[in-house]
Parts: sequence; C-alpha cells; structure tokens
Amino acid sequence: MSGTVLSGSLLVVVGGGGVGKTTLAAALALGSARQGQRTLVMTFDPSLRLKDALGVGEAALDEPIPVPGAGPGRLEAALLDARRTFDRLIHTYAPDAAAAERIFTNRFYRDMAGGLAGILEYMAMERLFEMRAARRYDRIILDTPPTRQAMDFLLAPERMMHLVNNRAIQFAMDPWWDRKGGKNLPFRLAAKGALELSDHLIGRRFLLDVVEFIRAFAPLFEGFRHRAEEVQKLLRAEETRFLLVAGPGPDRVPDAMFFLRKLQETGHSLGPILVNQLHPDPGPTGRGAGPDLLRFLAARDRQGLELLRHLLPGTQEILPVALEPDPPGDLAELGRLFSKLDNATSV
Amino acid sequence: MSALDRLAERQLVVVTGKGGVGKTTLASVLGRLLAERGRRVLLLEVDPRESLHQALGTEPSGGNLVEAGPRLRLQNLQPAAVIEGLVHEKVPIGYLARKIVESTAFHQFVEGAPGLKETAVLGYAYRVLHEGRRTRVDVVILDAPATGHGATLLAAPGLLAQASEGGQLGSMAADLAAFLADPTRCAVVLATLAEEMPIQETLELLEVLRARLGVRPELIVANGLYPPLAGASGPELLRRRRRLNEAELARLAAVWDGPLAVLPLLALDRGPALIQALAARLAEADP
Repeated sequence: MSGTVLSGSLLVVVGGGGVGKTTLAAALALGSARQGQRTLVMTFDPSLRLKDALGVGEAALDEPIPVPGAGPGRLEAALLDARRTFDRLIHTYAPDAAAAERIFTNRFYRDMAGGLAGILEYMAMERLFEMRAARRYDRIILDTPPTRQAMDFLLAPERMMHLVNNRAIQFAMDPWWDRKGGKNLPFRLAAKGALELSDHLIGRRFLLDVVEFIRAFAPLFEGFRHRAEEVQKLLRAEETRFLLVAGPGPDRVPDAMFFLRKLQETGHSLGPILVNQLHPDPGPTGRGAGPDLLRFLAARDRQGLELLRHLLPGTQEILPVALEPDPPGDLAELGRLFSKLDNATSV
Repeated sequence: MSALDRLAERQLVVVTGKGGVGKTTLASVLGRLLAERGRRVLLLEVDPRESLHQALGTEPSGGNLVEAGPRLRLQNLQPAAVIEGLVHEKVPIGYLARKIVESTAFHQFVEGAPGLKETAVLGYAYRVLHEGRRTRVDVVILDAPATGHGATLLAAPGLLAQASEGGQLGSMAADLAAFLADPTRCAVVLATLAEEMPIQETLELLEVLRARLGVRPELIVANGLYPPLAGASGPELLRRRRRLNEAELARLAAVWDGPLAVLPLLALDRGPALIQALAARLAEADP
C-alpha cells in the first residue's frame, strides 16, 4: 500500500529530537501543494538549510509566507515563536492597553511565565487554531515543538483549562489583596497563612508576583478557556491525523512506543509511522571499514524496524524512509523526498 | 592541562545538548574515565525512560543507586520524588507532610512552578556531594534532561532564587546558583552531532550560556562521526555523510576555539563494549 501518507486536513507531525520531523513535515507540505491543495506548514525551529529551501526568513514569524514555485495548490510556511504568540494573545484579549502593559511589566511574566509547564506548547496550538479559523487552507501540517515533556502539547489545552478554573485563581482574584473590603474570617486566615507559609518557604515577593500576574491576566481567561476547548476538539477531530516520526535502530523504539501510547491514551488518531534515517544495506560484497560499518548500521536499523513491527498490530502502517546522503537543500530535493514518502510501502 | 584533567578536578559535571545527540553515551564515557582516574563517580539520569543502565550494562536503577564498576555508580532520579522528600524533611509533622504531598495544589505547583524540578535535581547533586562522608561521592555527572533549551537547567536556580528571594527555597536556590557559577567546582560539557541542526543548536547554546550565565563549557564532544574513507573508495552514502560532518565541524570551529573532541560512529551496539571503546578514543584525543 502506498500513497496514504497524505490524508486529513490537519496533519500533526510528532516524534523525539533529531529524528528529522521538520524536514519530513516540509516535504509532506510540498507534496500536498503539488497535489493541488492549498497547504500551510507550521514549524518551530527549522534549520537554515530548510529555511533556504523554502525561501522563508524571519518575516514568517509574524505571517505565513508564500513559498514560490511549490506547485498548483499553494504552499505557505509559518515559523512558530511561542513568546510572540503569547504576547500577541495578550494584546488581543486584554480589555485595554493598560491591562496589557500590566502583564508585560509583571516580573513573573517576564522571567518565568515562559517556563510554566505546557504554556509554550499551548501557544503552538493557539496559533494553529488562528490559522484554521482563517480558512485559507485545505490542509495544515504542523511540525511539533521540541518539548521537554515530549507530549506536553497534547495536554496543553486541558492544562490551560485547569489553570483558569483553578481555585488558586479565585483566591488571587479576591479584593482583599488590594487591602479592600472586609473579607470573611476564613478567607483572611487562609490568605494570611498562605503569605506566612510563602514568606517562610518561597519568599513573600514570589507569591505577590504570582498573584499580581494572575490578576492582570484574569480579564483574558474567558477567551482562553473557550479557545482551549476548541483546540482540544480540533486535535481529536476525525480530519486530524498524527504522523509519528521515529529514529532508526532498536534504541529508538522505546521512544516511539512512548509517543504511541500517549496518543492512544489521549484518544488521538494515528496515521502511518515513518521510520526515518535508515541506512541502506550495501549487500554482501565490498570489503573494508566502510562497507562493514554500513552493513552493521543497516542490520541495526532493520532490527529496529522489525522490533517495531513486532510490537504493533498488523493494521498499523510502518513506512521505512532511507537516510539521505545530504539533507534537502532546495525545493527539487524536498520534492524528491516527498516522492519517496509517497511511494513507501509499509513493512 | 587537558580537558579531562580539568574535569577530574570538578565536583559537578553537567552533560547537556539536545535530544538524540548522544548525551547519555557521553555521560557514561566520562563517568568511566573519571572513575579510572580515581574519582568516586555518581552518574545521574533524570529521564523516566532509563537508558544509562543499558550503556553501562547494569540493571535499571528504578530510583536506587546501582554499582556500575569500580568507583562508578548510577542513579535514575525522579524530580517529583526529590521534591516530596524535601517536603517530608522540612515539614516535621508526618501527617501534615503527607497531606501536602497528596494535595492537588502541591502537584500543580510541582508541575507548574518554573525551574523547580531543575533546581531539585541540581540540589540533589549538591547534597550528595556535601554529605561526602556518608555517600562517598567525589564527582556527580549529570546527564541533563533533553529540554528545549540546554540552558534551562543551568539557569533554573538563579531564576528561582530571584523569584523567591527571602524564603528558604530562595536561599537554597541562591546557594545552588553560586555553586553552579563557580568554575572551580562545576563544569559544563556539551554533546552534539556534526550535523546541521545539532551544530546550529550548539552555537546558539554557547551564546546563551555566555550571555545569560557567563558559563563557558569545559569541553564540546561531537558524537557519531562517519569514518574518513581513503580516496574515492567506500560507499557513497558514508563519504557524503563524512563530508557533511567535516563541513559542520568547520562551522563550529569558526566560533569555538575551546577544547573540542570528536568520537567515531562505531560498529558496536549500545552497551559496555561501546562505552569502553569510546572512552579509549576520548582519552586519546583529550584536547
């Protein structure tokens, strides 16, 4: 079976670090445009070479940039920058310029908000949603971020919803913090206790910074909650498919299985698995260090492929993709890579 | 003084770099080499999917200390467990400590508080080193988690210290930040591959380390180099990959004038034999 690699109107390319996700996402996007689809590829951190190949620069950080000569459809590329997206969201949802300014100058937002678990991943989802809502594309291909917790971005919308529903936020929102209002005794005790505990353990300023951040952020919550729900629906929709890219060899199999398990647990639909960067077998002839090493690497990579096949149900497509001598440096080379993907046969 | 001589004098060696560039292999190689030099080494891994034990041929750690050779031990660390341990220690009433640890708010705090997990891991290393008589460790080699940014781990204590100034957590974090900033006690080793993205990321990381933390790595190691093949012989794929490796190393060398070592791609599976072969190569190269 071949030619199945492109289907669905939203393709999310996932996988561990260094497995060639970004390059494959770009090749798939080019293939999609060549098949006449208006396609957008969103990527986090492309190599210089890939940026050159697509002809996109820093300008693509703000708006999708058309890739010239990509085919009868149309291909646009956007670079994702989580911080910029966050900043822009604040501008969008803040009721006025002063409210936005309060957030931007908050110490917690400046130094630490970027480190909040899942926030950066959520921003990728947010941007995706924006692009979908624009309805300018038949297909969007999302290259996922190199996340710390590999699958954080799947949980990101839910976390965001939890975050804004959190009781801690109700607490932070209380006017007592403004030294206003006669609050009931339990609240005063709780607030005093929290301050004393935090004074002792984490320093009073930390808590006050966080409270201030939450309060500055609060007018935005309704918008965020709504969007997070929409994003979650979108990721679980039938038209959305996840493509897993795995590295070669048995050592990388646990990584791939981890991703698969997470996708299944969270109810997302999986497309084919691409096992990338496989060394081709040079055959039994040829002596010397070179052919010996290549035979070893080919055998190792084949073992990985067989192990994955063995661990997964027969209905799961597993497409082998050979290691390129040089990474694609222009559209023609990306196009050739797509043809290989499109013609790959499941093992 | 060679890079390995200098590393042998440190207390904490942080091996960092992006995912998939051979950090765990390099940490194991360094562990073996420093143990051979007479240092009592503890190798710390933070990834819940353990792989350090495979490199060294032991059983998985599951959170415990495992002997991996003379003067060489390894341990897989769960940051959340370290933080829970701290709570039990700081909150003297057992019942209260349990209540805290079991609460949703606590879990959200541990998951959400920026820099907390990173600081907990570094704090664990710090304590192991400073409770010397009991644990008998001279040097901790930390196989840093594959974060989006290699600097996240190293920057965490400083950020946390700043944020929680005045509290106990803040002063612990400040001690750690000072420890990390002391080049006579701590060293950073960067692992990379001689390929385009890993080199680009290494160059960016070097700049972030310099600008944000004033840290200069003690050593950069490029892993998995394809072999040089004489003349036009050998498979075309390997020759082109080697050319790519060389071009990328040149790009790194144009910016980095410090110690740089390369390790070859060997026809060996992950395991003690590979670590031993690579240790011999690194000891020989020792820039």
